[in-house]
Amino acid sequence: MFRVARLIAAKDLRIEFRSRVVTNQVLPFAMIVMVMFAFALNTQEVVERVAPGLVWLATLFSLLILVQRAFAIETADGATEAMRAAGVDPAGIFLGKALALAAQLAVLEIVLLVLAVVLYSAKLHVGGVVLLVTTLLAATCGLALVGTLYGGLAAGVRGRETLLPLLLLPVVAPVLIGATRATEAALGTSGAVVSDGWPWLGLLGVFVALFSVGGTLAFGPLIEE
Amino acid sequence: MAALGIVGMEDVGFILATYIATFVGSIALAVYYLRRGRRLAAQLPPDDKPWA
Amino acid sequence: MTDMQLTAGQPANANATAESFSKPTAKTSATGTPFTRILGIATVVSMALLVLFGLFLSPEDVVQGESVRILYIHVGTVWVAYVAFGVTALSSLAFLWKRTTSLTWDRIAGASAEVGVLFMALTLFAGAIWGRLAWGKFWVWDARVTTTAFLFITYIGYLAVRGLGGSHQQRGRRSAVVALLAVLEIPLVHFSVKLWRGLHQDSSVADTTKVKLHDLMLFSLFISLIAFTLLFVWLVMHRQRVLAMQDALEDKGLDYALEQRRSEGGL
Repeated sequence: MFRVARLIAAKDLRIEFRSRVVTNQVLPFAMIVMVMFAFALNTQEVVERVAPGLVWLATLFSLLILVQRAFAIETADGATEAMRAAGVDPAGIFLGKALALAAQLAVLEIVLLVLAVVLYSAKLHVGGVVLLVTTLLAATCGLALVGTLYGGLAAGVRGRETLLPLLLLPVVAPVLIGATRATEAALGTSGAVVSDGWPWLGLLGVFVALFSVGGTLAFGPLIEE
Repeated sequence: MAALGIVGMEDVGFILATYIATFVGSIALAVYYLRRGRRLAAQLPPDDKPWA
Repeated sequence: MTDMQLTAGQPANANATAESFSKPTAKTSATGTPFTRILGIATVVSMALLVLFGLFLSPEDVVQGESVRILYIHVGTVWVAYVAFGVTALSSLAFLWKRTTSLTWDRIAGASAEVGVLFMALTLFAGAIWGRLAWGKFWVWDARVTTTAFLFITYIGYLAVRGLGGSHQQRGRRSAVVALLAVLEIPLVHFSVKLWRGLHQDSSVADTTKVKLHDLMLFSLFISLIAFTLLFVWLVMHRQRVLAMQDALEDKGLDYALEQRRSEGGL
C-alpha cells in the first residue's frame, strides 16, 4: 500500500511540475482572493484582526480547485479505472493522491501566510512558530485527506464536479474553526495567547485521525464504478 | 412581546404560521408520494409490488 | 428519475404491457397497505391532538408566553430529523454489510433522507421563528443550531449524490459511504462548534431559556414526539415503496426498450 502511495504521489507531483497548473493558476487565484477580502472588509484593523480566518478561507477555496485538478488528471484518460482494473490497491491510490495534494496545499499555505504578513500586516513571532508549523501540518493533512476522499467521489463524470463544494465545505468546517483559532493563537491576533492554541490542535488531530482511517476504508468503494 | 416590526402582526400570527407551514409541508409531501405511487403502480405488474 | 411511460406496443414475446395492469382503485392505493392505512389514521389523530393541546389546552409559559407553543412543533420535528439521520446511517450500514446488499436498505436510506430534509427545514424554520419571539434573534451560533444546519446541508448533498445516476448498486454503494462519512463528520462539527462557542459567554443564551415544564406542557411535548414519529414512519414507508417501483420501472424500461430494438431488428 505504501509503495503504491509513493508511486502515485510521485506521479501526481511530477505532472504538476511539468504542467505548473498550481503555480500558474491556483496560487494567483489565492492571491486575488486575499486582495478581494481586503476590498470587502474595508478597514485595516478589521482585516488585521481576521487575517488568520482569511488565510484559511482562501486555502479552502483553493482546495476546491486543487482537488478538481487532482482528479481531472485521472479522469481525462480513464486512469483511475485502468488502475483499478489492474488491481492497484485503492488505499494506496488514496494515500498517494492525498500526499501529493498535501504537498501542493503546504506550498499554497506558506504563500498565503507570507501574503498575510505583507497585505494584512500579520506579525509572526518566535514564540508561536512551533504552534504555527504544527497547525499547518495538521490542517494540511486533514484537508488533503478529505479533499482526496470527496474528490474521488465527485470526479470526472458530467455533473459531478459541481457537487464537490457542496459536499466538501461542510466537512472541512472543523478544520476551518480549529486552524483559524490555532493560527490566531500563534500570531497573537485578537489578543490570543499561544497556549490557547493547543486544544485546537487537538481537534485537528482528531480530524486527521478519523479521516485517515475513514478515508482509506471509504475510498475503494467510492471510486468503484 | 414586541411585534416583529411587521406592522400589525403579533406572536400568535407567527405561532399559527409555524403550525400551518408544518402541516402544509407534510401534507404536500404526503400527497406527492401518494400521487407518484399511483402513477407508477399503474405501469407495473403485481410482482413488483410485494407489499400489496 | 422521470417515470418511463411504457407505450402501447406489441413486443415479440409475451411480456405484459402497461395496458394490462389494473389501475389502482380507491380500495387498493398503489403504495398503501392495511398497515399504512391504520398508521395514517393514527398520525392524523395524534396531529389533531397536538393542535388541540399545543395551541389550546396547554398553558402559556411564565417566561416566554405564547411563543412556547412553537416548541411543540419544533421539538417534534428536530427529534424526527435526527431519527431520520440515524435511520439513513443504519440502513446504509445494513446495505454495505456483506450479506445484505438488498436494495431495500438503500431505498430506506434514501427515503429517510428525503423525509429528513423536510423535517430539518421545518425545524430550522420553527426554530428561527421561536428564537425571534423568545430572544429577539432568528439565529444563534451555538452547537445545536449550527449542527442542525450542517446536518441539513449534508442531507442535501447526500440526496444530490443519490441523483448522480449509474446502476442501483452503484447508487447504493456511493450514497451509503457518504452517509457513513456523515456519521463521522456531524459529531465532529458539533464538537468543534461547541468548543468554539465555549469561548464566548453569549453561548449561555440558549441555556437561559430553560422552560419550566408543567404537566400539560410535558404531555403536549409527548404528543408531538409521537405524532411526528408516526408521520415519519408513514412517509418513509410510502417513499420507500415509490422508490422500489421507480427502480423496477427503470429496470423494466431498459428490458422493454431492448425488446423493442430486438423485435425491430428481427434478431
